[in-house]
This record gives sequence, C-alpha cells and structure tokens, in this order.
Amino acid sequence: MILDTKIVRKYFTWALDTTRESHLLTLSDGPLFKGIGKNLLRKLLIDLIEKKYTAGDIIFHEGVSGKAVYVVLEGSVKIIKKSNSKNKTLVVLGPGSHFGELALIGHTSRFATAVAEEDSLLLIMYKSYFDDLIRSNSATSARILLNLLAILSDYIHRENPNE
Amino acid sequence: MKRWKDIAMTDQRHKGGTSQTDLRKLRNQMPRWALILLALGVAAVIASRITHLLMMLTAAAVIAYIFSSVISAFERSGIKRSVAVILLFVLAAAFMIAADLIFIPNLKQEIINVYAKFPEFSRQIRDALLLIAQNSAEKYPFIESSIMNLVDNVFGPSGYLERALNASGILMHATPFIMALILVPFFVFFLLKDWPGVMKRVIDWIPPSYVETTISVLGEINILVGKYLRGLAADCFVTGVLVSAGLWLIGINYPITLGILSGVANIIPYFGPIIGCTVSTLVALMQYRNFDPLLNVVVLYLFIKLMDDLVIQPLLIGKGVHLHPMLLVITLIVGENLFGIMGMILGVPIVTAAQKTVGILLEHHRETLRRETTRSLIKLHVAKAPVRPI
Repeated sequence: MILDTKIVRKYFTWALDTTRESHLLTLSDGPLFKGIGKNLLRKLLIDLIEKKYTAGDIIFHEGVSGKAVYVVLEGSVKIIKKSNSKNKTLVVLGPGSHFGELALIGHTSRFATAVAEEDSLLLIMYKSYFDDLIRSNSATSARILLNLLAILSDYIHRENPNE
Repeated sequence: MKRWKDIAMTDQRHKGGTSQTDLRKLRNQMPRWALILLALGVAAVIASRITHLLMMLTAAAVIAYIFSSVISAFERSGIKRSVAVILLFVLAAAFMIAADLIFIPNLKQEIINVYAKFPEFSRQIRDALLLIAQNSAEKYPFIESSIMNLVDNVFGPSGYLERALNASGILMHATPFIMALILVPFFVFFLLKDWPGVMKRVIDWIPPSYVETTISVLGEINILVGKYLRGLAADCFVTGVLVSAGLWLIGINYPITLGILSGVANIIPYFGPIIGCTVSTLVALMQYRNFDPLLNVVVLYLFIKLMDDLVIQPLLIGKGVHLHPMLLVITLIVGENLFGIMGMILGVPIVTAAQKTVGILLEHHRETLRRETTRSLIKLHVAKAPVRPI
C-alpha cells in the first residue's frame, strides 16, 4: 500500500489517522480477527461502532438474547456467572479479547453477565453486519467464522480433555 | 457482594431518574399513538414553514449518504476523515473543471440554442393549435373556445411563457437556486466530516441495556438504505449516459441536456421515463418537422427502460425495494404539493427508505415477541415433560 511507505509516513503524518493504529494492533492481536489483513481490519474499525463504558456499567445481563459480539479496545471487562444465588467471576478480559461471540451464530441467550471493570472502550459487531459480510462473500467473514470455529473447538477440548 | 450492589445501582441509574419518572407518568396519561401523532403534527407544521431549508438539507443528506462510501474507502487507506472529505471536494472540483472544459461548452451551446429558438418553437406550436381551432370551429365550437383560451393563457401577453421567460422572473427563481448551489455543498461537507462523531455521541448517550438493539436496527437500516440510495444514483447515471449516447446515435439535438433530464427523471418510477421520452419526442418533432424520427426515439426509450428493468436495476439496486404503485402516486402528489418538482424527485427515494426502515423496526418487534413466546414455551415443556428421563 502506497500509504504505508516511509516517505508518506514522514511527510504526511498530519493526513494519516494515527488514533486508529493502536486499535488496529489491539484487534489483530485478538483470536477472533487473527489472520485478517490490516486494510480489512481498518474497514471493520470504520464500519463498526465503538462505545465507551464507565466502570461498573453492565454491558449485558445473563439470560437476555444477544445480538452482537464485543471486542475490548481499551480497559477491561469482567464476566460474571450466577450460580446458587452467588456471583462468580469467570474471567477478566483485557484489550484484544472478545466476548458474546455466540450471538454471531444465532439468537442465543447470554450465558453470563458482562460488566465494565474499569472505564472501557468496546467495539461492537452486530449480527446483521456479520450477516451482510457473509452475504457479500467477503474473505473477512470466512476468516472470522474459521477463527470462531477454532475458539469453539478449543473450548470443547478444554472442557473434555479425555474425549 | 458489595460489587454486585454497585452494579445494580448503576443499572438503576440508567433506568430511573426523576425526569424519566415524569415522562413515564405522562406516557401513562396519554396513549402512545396520540403522542406520536402530536409529534408528527408539530414536525409537519415546522417543516411547512422551512420547506426551502428542508429541501436543501434533504438533498445534502442524500448526497452525503451516497458519497460516504467513497470517504470510507479513503479512510481504509489510513487517511484522516477530515482530510478525506477535503480530498473528495478537491476531486469533485477537478471533475467539474474537466467537465466544464469538455462537456459544458456543448451543454452551454445546447441551452443557448434552446433559449434562442424558444420563441420560434412556441410560435410553431401556437400556429398549429390555431389551425386545429380553425378547422374544428364549425363542428366543435367548444373545442375552438378551449384552444383559444389555452393559447391566450400560455402564449398571450402576460401568459405563462411571457412570465417564465421574463428576466426578473428568472432572477427570482435563480436566487434560491444559487443559494442551494452554495449551501448544499456546505451542508454535505459538514455532514460527511462530522456525522460519525455525532453518531458516536448518540451511541455513548444510549443506556447499555438498549445499545445492542439500537445498533443492530441502525446497522440494518444503514446497510439497506445505503445500498438503495447508492444503487439509485448509479442507475440514474447509467440511464442518463445511455439516453445521451442513444439520442446522439440517432441524430437528435441536445443529447447531453436530454440525457441529464432523463437520468434525473428516472428517479421517478413509471412516470420518469415517460417524461424523458415526451421531451425528447418534442425535440425530435421540432428538429425534423415530421413524424419519422418519433419511432426511433420511442424505441430507444423502450429499449433503455427494458435494459433498466431487467439488467441495470437488479444489478445496482436489487429486488424488493420498490414502492407500491398507489403509495408512489400519493408520494408524487404530496411531494409536488409540498416541495414542487424537487419534492417529486426526492420524495420517492425518501419514502422508499422510510418504508424499509419501518419494515426493519416491525421485524425486530415481531422477532422480540416471537423469542419471548418461544422462551416461555420451552420453560413449560421442560417443567412438564423432560425430553430424557434422568
């Protein structure tokens, strides 16, 4: 890409969008967008919506139907599961991690509650956008689906190590 | 446990609040449809007072929407949005200068010719009408008097033509046009540059529990309406170029002017091609003074219409984004009454986009209801008859 050349970066820094670059690195580090080119990731960052959450905000509740997958760009998010009327923290997710990915496959209820652990910036990919990516036969959608399958198969292996 | 309380309180903060309680009370006192009707009524009254501004804003919004994909393409290569918008305007200016050098001399000549020959054309039409009136005077006196009235109204002193071609009249119509020429690009610039920022603020303002549905609905609307508007613009362009090329090939005068007119008119389904064909037929009649080239013009328009319906529209716009004929006629009449010719042209895409938006909102509502029903059914099923005995 001509815009990635040294000369352009040296003399035209004022014209380049540097704020997105750090988010671009964060996205490419995450397992959901592994193997997707820089330009396609930039397209995702442009097309999708970012939202700020303040510490303690509930992103979604356990049991409600999901319509989007979230990627942590800044801050951290805690995933809480209710069991025997107690709240158990399953995991705290940092930049690059994603959660709520099952919403991309079908209309499923959220398995756990997601809460912003600190002030966070999340990228939201809604199901209809992903469906449109699939309809347009884009390589991005195929890559995301493959990554999603890899994540799910990893999960199955982890849960049933003997099978 | 303390943390959980904090969470619950935060959630409450989004749901509650004094102003929202007041709103809820008001909503309980008044049925929702009455509130919607009231809001629509107020909006209609305000809109009727600022029609010119509204038309300019609508045109700017449609243009910005069509070009937003170009800006996204620039952004994808790593350019800042503001720089991308300036770049687009520089490119548009360069395109217009190039067009000015290549096409505009021809177009200018065409318009000057039309304007210069207008008195002659109108005289010919008047003479033809008077001849018909004379011939039918004995048998049908009623027709004669009607034609004489029409000739007086249109061609007589202070008739429609006199008023339309009057210099001060042209100036009067030109002022809003010139204002629009300056203001629409101004609005387009800021809409393209700042719209994502505005959307971001709106999204940040929405309580977390509504975010997913809102973003999902907005995204679907954006995908469908964007595809439709961009497809429509491309369809107009292709049709205009085809008409220009076709008319030039069969030797009709003013092919560029007629191509632009037919392209723009093509936005109006059914009537648009008829308007374009009628004007081109009139020009051909004046040019050749016989009916021979008429068949060529009509066949050309029929061919382009067929191509448009069978190839261009399915490729560019897609199926299933058309207005019902009745709704179309109502849109055209209301658009013409409220905003004139611009209302007719912009009304169709706006009502089509609105129809799509309402469809998506209803589909989401239905889906939510369906999911709630399914969930309660599953609960019942699990409680009364387990699938597998454990």
